Amino acid sequence: MLAEARALIGVTKVRRCEVTARDIRRFAQAIGATDPVHFDEDYARSTRYGRVVAPPLFCQSLAYEDVPPDRLPADGSPIEVCLPIPARRTVGGDSTFTVHRPVHAGETIVVTSQLKDVYAKEGRSGLLFMVVIETRFDDADGAPVASETATYIKRA
Amino acid sequence: MSSTARDWESLELPAPIPEIVVKPDRMQIFMFSAATWNRHRIHYDKDAALDEGLPDVVVQRSLIGNFLARLLTQWLGDTGDIYELSWRVLASVVPGLSLRCTGQVLTIETVEGARYADCEVYMADEAGNSVATGRARLRLH
Repeated sequence: MLAEARALIGVTKVRRCEVTARDIRRFAQAIGATDPVHFDEDYARSTRYGRVVAPPLFCQSLAYEDVPPDRLPADGSPIEVCLPIPARRTVGGDSTFTVHRPVHAGETIVVTSQLKDVYAKEGRSGLLFMVVIETRFDDADGAPVASETATYIKRA
Repeated sequence: MSSTARDWESLELPAPIPEIVVKPDRMQIFMFSAATWNRHRIHYDKDAALDEGLPDVVVQRSLIGNFLARLLTQWLGDTGDIYELSWRVLASVVPGLSLRCTGQVLTIETVEGARYADCEVYMADEAGNSVATGRARLRLH
């Protein structure tokens, strides 16, 4: 049942993303973070960071590939979890996010995402399919900035 | 950011992390989808959410993680940073719920000269139902 999807385990995609001050400011607003260290350059200079830094989980905003909408499944769920699985609905399950250092405006982040695992599990309301995606965020020199291992739950 | 120094040696464990309350509304869920370019309809299209058996549009798993991260960074101030945060969403979270985020520091250890704290974090709705749970490892200064 999952042979076709499991054959995709290990498939890796790499993208490069430029981070702007606007991206950081909007992410901070979206999560309700009001600390001016995320948007006020003068204030940020007086902090231990010395410049504007993104909130710790900012790299989440780089995780989904911005494919055109006609390439997304009908439910609009991320292309990363669009796999040949007998399931229609997708929800987020758990996540482990590791932060190596804060992100600054003007840097390039190299995003590497990989399908790590796909497996079925019996849930309370029927069969669940777990899709595990690992995403690495490195800087332009290849040094790690952050990483996330996220599990999505798909069901019929 | 509040405190700039903390006496980690004399912290009595387990040590509570002061609660924050967040109340995500439709605009915040929309902004987070926009900021992360998450086009999944269950976060902004109520009909699509109902069709999938959800009670309404739902708060993103990633946004819930950011609320737990804010709990930790607001408490840490300049005294440390999040190194790792793991969390699991236990129930669908719909707009307008007040969510209480709390946690506690369980242990503090030093590894190769760097000090770390390991914590549990939780999120519950107004009725006290657990909606998310997690663990964090903090790098202390």
